[in-house]
Amino acid sequence: MNNNEENISSIGRSLLNRRGFMKNTGFSLGALGLSQLLNQDGLFASDNPTNFSGKAPIRPNIDPDNPYAPRDPHFEVAAKQVLIIFCPGAVSHVDTFDYKPDLIKYHGKKPPGMPAVTFEGPSGNIAKPFWEFKPKGKSGKMVSDLLPNLGELADDFCFVHSLHTQTSAHPQGENFLNTGFTMEGFPSFGSWATYALGSENEELPAFVAINDPRGPARSGKNNFGNGFLPAAFQGTDFNAKNPPANLARPASYSTSDDRSTVSLLQRLNGRHLEQFPGDADLAARIASYELAGKMQTSIPDVMDISNEPASIQQEYGTNTGTVLKKEYAKNCILARRLLEKGVRVVQLFNGSDPSGGNGITNWDSHSNIDKTHAMQAEIMDQPTAALISDMKRRGMLKDTLVVWCTEFGRMPFLQGNGTGRDHNPDAFTCFFAGAGVKKGYSYGESDNFGFKSVEGKSSVYDFNATILHLMGLDHERLSYYHNGLERRLTNVHGHVIKQVLA
Amino acid sequence: MYSLTKHLAFIPLFLWGSLNASNHFEDEVLPLLQDYCIDCHGPDKQKSGFRVDRRAYLLKGGDTGMSALIPGKPEKSYMIEVIKSDDPEISMPPKGGRLFDDEIEILEKWIADGAQWPGQMNDKIEEGTDHWAFKPVQRPEVSGKATNPIDVFINDRLDKEEIPRNKPADPLSLIRRASIVLTGMPPEPSRVAEFKADFTQDSNLAYEKLIDDLLASPHFGERWAQHWLDVIRWAETNGSESNLYRKMAWVYRDYVIRAFNQDLPYDEFVRQQLAGDGMGVGEALGFLVAGPHVPAATVGQEPSAIRQARADRMDEIMQTVGASMLGVTMSCARCHNHKFDPISIQDYYSMTAVFQDIEFGSRFPEFSSEHPRKMKANEIWREVAKNRNKIRNKSSAWEEDWGGYKEVHWQPLEVIGLRLNFWSGYVGLDEVEIFGLPTEDFNLASAANGTEIMTDSAFAQQGDRFPVSRVIDGKYGTQRWQASYLKEKKQNPWLEFKFKKPVKVGRLRISTNREYYYETDYLEQKSKFNFDQFLVNVKLADGTWVEIASIQKIRDLMEDDKSFGDAIGEINHFAYKLSEEGPRPSFVGSFIEPKLTRVLHRGSPENPRDVVLPGAPKILSGILGVDNEASGRARRAEFAEWMVNEENPLTSRVMANRIWQHIFGAGLVVTGGDFGRAGAPPSHPELLDWLASEFASPSRPEGTPWSMKELIRILVTSDAFKRASNPSAVGMEKDATSSLLWRFPPRRVEAEVIRDGILLATGKLNREMGGRSYRIHNVKKTYAQWKVVNNFGPETWRRMIYQERMRRVDDQIFTAFDFPDCGQVRAKRPVSTTPLQALNLMNSPFVVDQAEHLANRASMESGNNLKKSVARAFELIFSRKPSKDELQASLAVAKDRGLNIVCRALMNSNEFAFLP
Repeated sequence: MNNNEENISSIGRSLLNRRGFMKNTGFSLGALGLSQLLNQDGLFASDNPTNFSGKAPIRPNIDPDNPYAPRDPHFEVAAKQVLIIFCPGAVSHVDTFDYKPDLIKYHGKKPPGMPAVTFEGPSGNIAKPFWEFKPKGKSGKMVSDLLPNLGELADDFCFVHSLHTQTSAHPQGENFLNTGFTMEGFPSFGSWATYALGSENEELPAFVAINDPRGPARSGKNNFGNGFLPAAFQGTDFNAKNPPANLARPASYSTSDDRSTVSLLQRLNGRHLEQFPGDADLAARIASYELAGKMQTSIPDVMDISNEPASIQQEYGTNTGTVLKKEYAKNCILARRLLEKGVRVVQLFNGSDPSGGNGITNWDSHSNIDKTHAMQAEIMDQPTAALISDMKRRGMLKDTLVVWCTEFGRMPFLQGNGTGRDHNPDAFTCFFAGAGVKKGYSYGESDNFGFKSVEGKSSVYDFNATILHLMGLDHERLSYYHNGLERRLTNVHGHVIKQVLA
Repeated sequence: MYSLTKHLAFIPLFLWGSLNASNHFEDEVLPLLQDYCIDCHGPDKQKSGFRVDRRAYLLKGGDTGMSALIPGKPEKSYMIEVIKSDDPEISMPPKGGRLFDDEIEILEKWIADGAQWPGQMNDKIEEGTDHWAFKPVQRPEVSGKATNPIDVFINDRLDKEEIPRNKPADPLSLIRRASIVLTGMPPEPSRVAEFKADFTQDSNLAYEKLIDDLLASPHFGERWAQHWLDVIRWAETNGSESNLYRKMAWVYRDYVIRAFNQDLPYDEFVRQQLAGDGMGVGEALGFLVAGPHVPAATVGQEPSAIRQARADRMDEIMQTVGASMLGVTMSCARCHNHKFDPISIQDYYSMTAVFQDIEFGSRFPEFSSEHPRKMKANEIWREVAKNRNKIRNKSSAWEEDWGGYKEVHWQPLEVIGLRLNFWSGYVGLDEVEIFGLPTEDFNLASAANGTEIMTDSAFAQQGDRFPVSRVIDGKYGTQRWQASYLKEKKQNPWLEFKFKKPVKVGRLRISTNREYYYETDYLEQKSKFNFDQFLVNVKLADGTWVEIASIQKIRDLMEDDKSFGDAIGEINHFAYKLSEEGPRPSFVGSFIEPKLTRVLHRGSPENPRDVVLPGAPKILSGILGVDNEASGRARRAEFAEWMVNEENPLTSRVMANRIWQHIFGAGLVVTGGDFGRAGAPPSHPELLDWLASEFASPSRPEGTPWSMKELIRILVTSDAFKRASNPSAVGMEKDATSSLLWRFPPRRVEAEVIRDGILLATGKLNREMGGRSYRIHNVKKTYAQWKVVNNFGPETWRRMIYQERMRRVDDQIFTAFDFPDCGQVRAKRPVSTTPLQALNLMNSPFVVDQAEHLANRASMESGNNLKKSVARAFELIFSRKPSKDELQASLAVAKDRGLNIVCRALMNSNEFAFLP
């Protein structure tokens, strides 16, 4: 396909201009377009739908010709865009950001109250952090030597130490964090956000999932799927190395072939549309081909990081360290470039399912945590820190929220094997940075061992409610009718963690 | 939905002062309720659907479904539980600290003494509903002159709204529309020509004949089966982390296709899917396990997680049955009473009791004796027996390889113990079974039969993580015994079985992970045996040990004695053949001993409460007359009878509406999986009831009750279906969604219609029905994602219903067209338009390849005349010839860039992608 203006038919051109289109056809598109494009059964369900909180849903007003057009949030907004850095496998909070001196005190002992069996089986004794913690920045936040670069940015971060989740299995944990349900088939955060808000760039997908160089995480597409929301709001997955499937013109075709296809197609569609004047679905489909043509240029452009200056390449580390780190660093640059272009939600993965990799595939350190967490940190630390510093320097943190997260924590004690830590669903740490959140602040506490969250206990629902809130969305009113319920990202739960708001 | 009994309905609710009450209640109990509870649970507010201002409300309780008050039993009364609780989630009152101990005592004593509440001791709350869907189907009178009763209802409404009806559609639109709706494929050019010719003679007759043909086409079942599979989110993998393939799950898909093609009456279709194990169609139970599940290996070791996973699996069954057959969102009542519908938490758990014997797994489907697979199996078994007889008289034991397990046979003898000495340094076993005479299938090794198992605990890997008890626990799969070489003793692992009493043993069966073999496929590291050679010794009654089998000696003998080796080779060959062609374990559900079912308070398996009986929702007369002693099959069979009973107002309405939806694009009730209060009311209530009634008990003299094809025929022969689909100004203004059917609403076709239609047009469609799904993915590691490796080669040129269906996997072409991810029930697919669809249809290897094939076919059928070829390509894709203008433009492109470029444009066009 080709996006040259002269190759767009007059019909196509007028379709791109919605006002012109409406003038030409004389029909009102509102109800038809919405119903057909979105198939939003809820529009026809009860007249005054309410959800569990008793609040009326706020339905986004989606233009069928351009589902990615920006839409108003529910209220004044702190963050226009969001970057989610997701670390699958479960990062050990007690070895990174949640400092627990008692682990040193009780090292090698088994104090009462610890379970005999955890996810993988019998448990062992308390183990002190595998890396030394040191105070960082003006806030003096204790961060371990595992993440030296991120540690330097502690003054910019807003930690939540009191998170807990519903499951100690990875795929369910990933599902829960990213979709609000442990089961599959529910819309992901990015899907909800772009359904509500559209995007600031109509020529790129509204929601991009940048998979780890080793491949997708354990829940695969479910982490960025659209569930029962319209397919327009699914995360489009590509990274610095692999473009989306079928983006490029097939090798056997020339640009002239593409141009001819498009112009013939427009002629055929134009003639067909004459029989259905004002049909918004047909018009939307024609428009989607125009948009696809634009993406064929806009996506390769944004993926091309070769013009980034050497200083940036060096800062992110695209040329130093392990192969995986270099590739992840390129993904980090891609993330920044997408956000600069106005993509609403970018989800950056640092870890894959257990099949790929360099001996480790993600943060799931059941054995030899001293080595495996270190290998994973080598990939994640420098590029991620560079990404956040770079965004800060460019002023992007003013209206972009950064969320660093993982699906649960790890145990303060070792497993039976004596070298790894098992899954801990009852306490883990994530952090925010940027738009709308406090800086150099830590909210909530886990107990003295980092075993269970105790102060300011925050559920994953609370966490997601907070991110939506920061984007100007009321998590209780962003709902979609599906199979009998006004479904929400936060199910029937969740409270905004007000303490973290700036 | 709930109301006080009539004689109470008009009594004002605040009667505190006027009651002629005992002093104890008025002076001590009532003030507590007023002080602590009434603000949130009274006449003004009813948080959690609960109020305390009448005794009857307390008896009923709130949304939790727990009685707040059980007279005489304070310890079972939920009110006492919450005021005593420390759990911040349930503790009451929520603010201001708990009640004083003496206050709690007052309430406890009051309840213990029968909860005397003067003047209200006989009050009860009657459960009832005035929601339309739960009321009996009322067949309306049909008046009017339209020939098809449907048109009477539709036209009445249009007249009332003053919307003019469109004219009938042209014959080309009609045949394309009817063909796609009924078979999922556009018509072939020759059939179009025939239809058009007939149509000019007698349009009605021509159309009737067309519908006859389409309903009789085997492609009808393929099209309609997919609709059913969507609702129940059927797929061939588990979902979840490992997303393992469900071996032979497709026998259920083939069952559904067959059922639609044979026009199996819907009531029978329901019965078979709920209880087909007793009807010779065991594979129909694949329905119950259509949803996703998390396999044991990824649930983890914590007992609470294992219980939760089972509860989640039961909930998947509830969702399937609820959404597909009942049109009720049962899951909403899992943790508390349904918020919208008269379904209580007791109803939910009563319904789980019906399915307590079902587990997500494989079994040999029950086939009637005429089943072709059954007959084939008998033939093969005779061959196995023949070969066994050849070697039975040789004095040696022998070894057979059955794929998932190995068997060792020897001359039966009476023993009190049996010992296996392994030769390999590492052994992993999920199960060992021991049998007696050749004809016997009783497992003598089972712990359940009193057998004990012993080994040296020093062999153990990782402490107690892989206990030896798993070898005889009757469970196959990853939960196995693992043992390794003991350096200190220089010993390989061994096992010893101690029988309760002397038994005759003649055969053993041993496996590492039989579940993987039976239940899954396409895994790189599948079906390995984590053992090799071993010795079998038996302990005679006098305590002496005798060697009865040595795998090494058997294998040596196979080398030395050709007839012995050949016979074993034959047996192994037939074992393989049996697994391909006979009845074999299929992922259509397995059976377990039904456990006593309790209400799980707030949905938590850690909080079981009162026992419930198997049943259906009370509001729908769901008492089944079976108790907790009844077998699983009996429970399900009774439930099925309840489901199809003519008194059940939902079953016929829900299916009639579903059929309507697939024909007209939207149901009369647009929320097809939810007929409850949160769903939509019907656009034409009388029409829906007429359809439901005509479906279940036809008034036509020749009508077959519950015939789906007959109902479909009524719909597609209506004027409403045959109307032109072009917009009209009045119609668009008054009814933009066309739900009143002033026109036939055009819509984008489904992913399958696009793919199948392309293959049909290019002439590459392989019409072979049923069997193994065609593969597009890799063979993967257990914990890895499926990857698409070939989604366009010749082996994929079958109808898309036969494409292997991995949950939440993107096939990189057609998933973008709102193809479901099979995670949640899908009563209706969304229809969205995205640039990714455009990219896939322009650039995917499938389309590039097929565009070439279409060009080749068109040229070949036109004697390589380019102009004729262009016209032929139009015919093959659109069922029509090009207009002059189109021909000119296309011919120019064909000359300049090639015919395949024209074909590519045709395949991408709106005309091809939309139902006319």
